[in-house]
Amino acid sequence: MSKRAVEAVFQGLFLFTEIRQIFRDTVPDHVLDQDQRIKVEKILVKLEKQLAIIKEEMLQ
Amino acid sequence: MNCSSDIESREIDELYINVDPIQAGGRLTLDAMKAVLSYGDGYSVCDNCEKPFRLDTIQKPPLAKFHKDLASFLHMDVARLVPGARRGFQAVAHSYVQKNSPVLLTEYSHYTEFLSVEQAGGKPYEVLADKKQIITPDAVAERIEDVLKKEKILPSLLFIDQVDYQYGNIHPVREIATVSHQYDIPVLCNGAYSVGIMPVDGKELGVDFLVGSGHKSMAAPAPSGVLATTHERAEEIFRTTQIRGDLTNRAFGMKEVEMMGCTLMGVTAVGMMASFPHVRERVHQFETQVRYTNQIVDALLSIDGTEVMSEYPRRHTLTRMDTSNSFDTVAKGHRKKGFYLISALRGRGITGIIPGSTRVWKMNPYGLTEKQASYLAQSFQEIASENGLTVS
Repeated sequence: MSKRAVEAVFQGLFLFTEIRQIFRDTVPDHVLDQDQRIKVEKILVKLEKQLAIIKEEMLQ
Repeated sequence: MNCSSDIESREIDELYINVDPIQAGGRLTLDAMKAVLSYGDGYSVCDNCEKPFRLDTIQKPPLAKFHKDLASFLHMDVARLVPGARRGFQAVAHSYVQKNSPVLLTEYSHYTEFLSVEQAGGKPYEVLADKKQIITPDAVAERIEDVLKKEKILPSLLFIDQVDYQYGNIHPVREIATVSHQYDIPVLCNGAYSVGIMPVDGKELGVDFLVGSGHKSMAAPAPSGVLATTHERAEEIFRTTQIRGDLTNRAFGMKEVEMMGCTLMGVTAVGMMASFPHVRERVHQFETQVRYTNQIVDALLSIDGTEVMSEYPRRHTLTRMDTSNSFDTVAKGHRKKGFYLISALRGRGITGIIPGSTRVWKMNPYGLTEKQASYLAQSFQEIASENGLTVS
């Protein structure tokens, strides 16, 4: 385990928080416009990277 | 879903348009939500606290700069973080109100202003509003004369709410402060519904103390707030400790007595600080928010029998409505009684109005997008139509 894994956890939490903010911005129907969809896609890609780091650091 | 065994996860602002009168301006920004994740532990801002060991001198996180920025933002000389506006009232009342001394409050003063006077042993004298629900400088002058005649001394302090919590009306603080200062009475302006929502300039208002609420209007966690003042008053209100232990001769550095030393030592301070850059910008968008509010109010007024109790057109987002002759007439015959309104609103993804209220109720649509404001306006009209009310 390492600082790298800890930072990946925080980065992941921040990315999830960005998704949380999109929920807040789009209540009550949560219908995303094109910009928001692109933003979510980018967030999910970044999240997957953080998950990979956590797996690598904590399980291998 | 639960956060812990018996604490339900709160998802209100992710699932609903929330127009709760006291919650709208305190909704966290994205940056504040991230900061909260990182700084939730107790004394989390104290990792790098160095001499002189006081909150407003901490460099990392940049609280020292934040204090200066806050004072500048409010156009006051000195600012301190306080655990809610009420603790600002308390500090000022404790410093300026002597036992049995008269204090001027108004018909719309928040209860915590009264409690701060009670705690200090002062005697409250209220200023009534005019027919338009506005506190006028003339009414203040008359009341000062009343007090002088009755008590033979002047009030030791005047509280004035820039935007009152009952109607969301904007009161003429500058003119009131001018009157008060003609009698040498210090003025505390309660900006709980203005600081962080709309542009507020302490120097232009001419007040001695300007108090804001972090959790009500500065997108910060509770309890948080700001007490700002002038250089002259700062020496009094932020006086440092002089006490010493009689046996040990211990002294307590430069801790400020009225602040009880440090105030916000963790998540509240950091949350407020993280939101601050956004708050500083959003006050310039206030007119847009007021425009949305007027659209919503206009939609409500299109429902026959509905009245707006706040000043109209609206100059603030917090608004008091009277639907005794519209939504309440439906409640009388509805199987859900007065709860049908909130039920219908929640069914549309809207919340924040007191459940069961169909007569007089408040809302604060602050922070909504144009689309959300239109949806809210339309929803009120649809609910009215569906329940047999006339929408014209």
